[in-house]
Amino acid sequence: MQRTSYTLLIGLAVLGLLAGSWGMAQRLLYGLNPVAFGSYVPWGLWVAFYLYFLGLSAGAFLVTTMAYVFEMERFHRLGRLAAYTVLIALLCEVLFITLDLGRMSRIYRFLITPSFSSLMTWMFVLFNAMLIIYALKTFFLIRGDLVAWSKDPKRKGRGLYRLLALGKSEYSEKDHRRDHKIVHGLSLVSLPVGLLFYGTNGAFFAILMNRPIWNSALTPLLFIIAAILSGGALITVLTHVFMRDAPLVRALGRATLFALVAFLFLEMLQFFVGYQADVPWAVAALNLIAFGDYWWTFWIVHLGLGGLLPLLLLLAGKDNTTAVAWACALIVLTFVAVRFNFIIPDLAVYKLEGLEHTFYHARLRTQYTPNMNEWLVSLWVVSVGLLAFLLGARWLPVTSSDAGGMEHAH
Amino acid sequence: MGKVLPSEDVLIRMQRDVKRALQRNAKDVRWTMVIDLGKCTGCHSCTLGCVSENKLPPGVVYRLVIEEEIGRYPSVRRRFLPRPCMHCQNPPCTKVCPVTATYANGQGVVVVDYNRCIGCRYCLVACPYSARTSDFGEWYTRGTPEAPQILVGKTAAAQAYEAKPSTEYGKKWPVRGHGSPIGNARKCHFCLHRLAVGMLPACVTTCTARATFFGDRNDPQSLVYELLGSPRLFQLKPELGTHPAVYYLK
Repeated sequence: MQRTSYTLLIGLAVLGLLAGSWGMAQRLLYGLNPVAFGSYVPWGLWVAFYLYFLGLSAGAFLVTTMAYVFEMERFHRLGRLAAYTVLIALLCEVLFITLDLGRMSRIYRFLITPSFSSLMTWMFVLFNAMLIIYALKTFFLIRGDLVAWSKDPKRKGRGLYRLLALGKSEYSEKDHRRDHKIVHGLSLVSLPVGLLFYGTNGAFFAILMNRPIWNSALTPLLFIIAAILSGGALITVLTHVFMRDAPLVRALGRATLFALVAFLFLEMLQFFVGYQADVPWAVAALNLIAFGDYWWTFWIVHLGLGGLLPLLLLLAGKDNTTAVAWACALIVLTFVAVRFNFIIPDLAVYKLEGLEHTFYHARLRTQYTPNMNEWLVSLWVVSVGLLAFLLGARWLPVTSSDAGGMEHAH
Repeated sequence: MGKVLPSEDVLIRMQRDVKRALQRNAKDVRWTMVIDLGKCTGCHSCTLGCVSENKLPPGVVYRLVIEEEIGRYPSVRRRFLPRPCMHCQNPPCTKVCPVTATYANGQGVVVVDYNRCIGCRYCLVACPYSARTSDFGEWYTRGTPEAPQILVGKTAAAQAYEAKPSTEYGKKWPVRGHGSPIGNARKCHFCLHRLAVGMLPACVTTCTARATFFGDRNDPQSLVYELLGSPRLFQLKPELGTHPAVYYLK
């Protein structure tokens, strides 16, 4: 990445942090009072963003699958970047979902009074499992370089690198082989854990019997494919920007194309089954997606800019890495619309006939538009993630594509 | 000459039913509500009684009355459907709570532990009857003026209602600031704090049409036990298998 682009992005992240601080201050002082969602649409923009980052974290999952399940050697060198990206995405995820809690100071309750009949508890367990796996994986992938950097007299912050390497001052061939084994083991473990994590997030919505679109066996599968699609697209963009590896970008582009086709097919099935079944609530929710106030987020943002255009770019420009990277960038940027259209319409349908005509209060309505506070808090969290990623990319050995890195990822 | 007027108000009988239930083993009691839609006049007294009893803030409602218009002009009718929490015997809301903050108590009443609830609102999403609301920390008097010697003023107005502690679940909840139940899921609890001292739920006593009945369905002498045998009996969304403890009479 060029220095000017890097500085520009750092500047944007800092600006975002500053602007978002106003929203964060309101959130911390007044709880959920400043938000626009209410009791009939109890989840809003922050949950949509949570799902968005959940998907982005699946990039490494895709890389792991291709590298260790399909034994595609070329993906091994992406190990560091992918693992670090997961860590940042998980950080954003946890920030969004914690800020969404009405009483976030009680998050410790997950540990002392958990209910294992709740899929939210399992999400908490699997989230932490993913966090631990990818923190360890990142550590063992970069440890060799951390030790080397801590001894490099030309490098600033050698003490910090020594601290991050947990005081290790020598890195032998034996250490190298052992770390390689650990990373391999962690990658294999991350497969079932990742599948369960992404699947559980889908099942979290699918088990709710009164929610016509969510309540489907298709939902967990849709979540897995959505995660692979958005995460894969993100990794493709990052590979193009940070590693400049054309064959790898093209290979990732093909995988993303496959995920995009699968996702659009599943989405089409969802609409087809919903409209054919003709259950009034389901049709009402689908109509809200396709013809409601936010129709443009579905037709223009998601299907046009995030579906059709990337599809054409990936098909027609499959050998052109810039075209592939642009296609993937479009998928990443527009995927938040997919998440928004998943969360809101199913909530925005009254579940009891006549409820809309009684007891008027803004918190008891199904019309929902995220307000400034929600956007500012979102901006703050995204800026934290962007800043953490950029600083890591600059000061940690996560994007280097040297031979050591390649071997480590094996 | 046939009997024209009832010899006693049903409230008196239900009061006796509640007192009798309190003398029984608590594990054997199953609190149940029956609402006669044929009698409901849509006066909303139950809603107001509940709001007042539980000191509910704006945007939080436990028992509202849904007004439904049926038919097309000139053949139109209006139907009123009071909707408290259904206190399901197979509640979808309790299963999804990640921290066991909501559960059915020994008498089948679905309750919320305000000091445990994390405010994730998963239970709100899971409830098929939209019977739960979240407390977003609203105040009726927020934004109203303080004008001494001209108006009563917001402080005085608040002291008369929303600055008073709610007594839900038999506790005195502190003046609304940042503490619970702000940020929590809230719902109808059959006025457990009133039942504990032998009083009927506020919505039952305030029902001007005497359309709401309450008691222990396991007590053969109770009024609700009798009403549960009515051929007019039905439940909301029975196809979901939630088995509500709130029944309706057509």
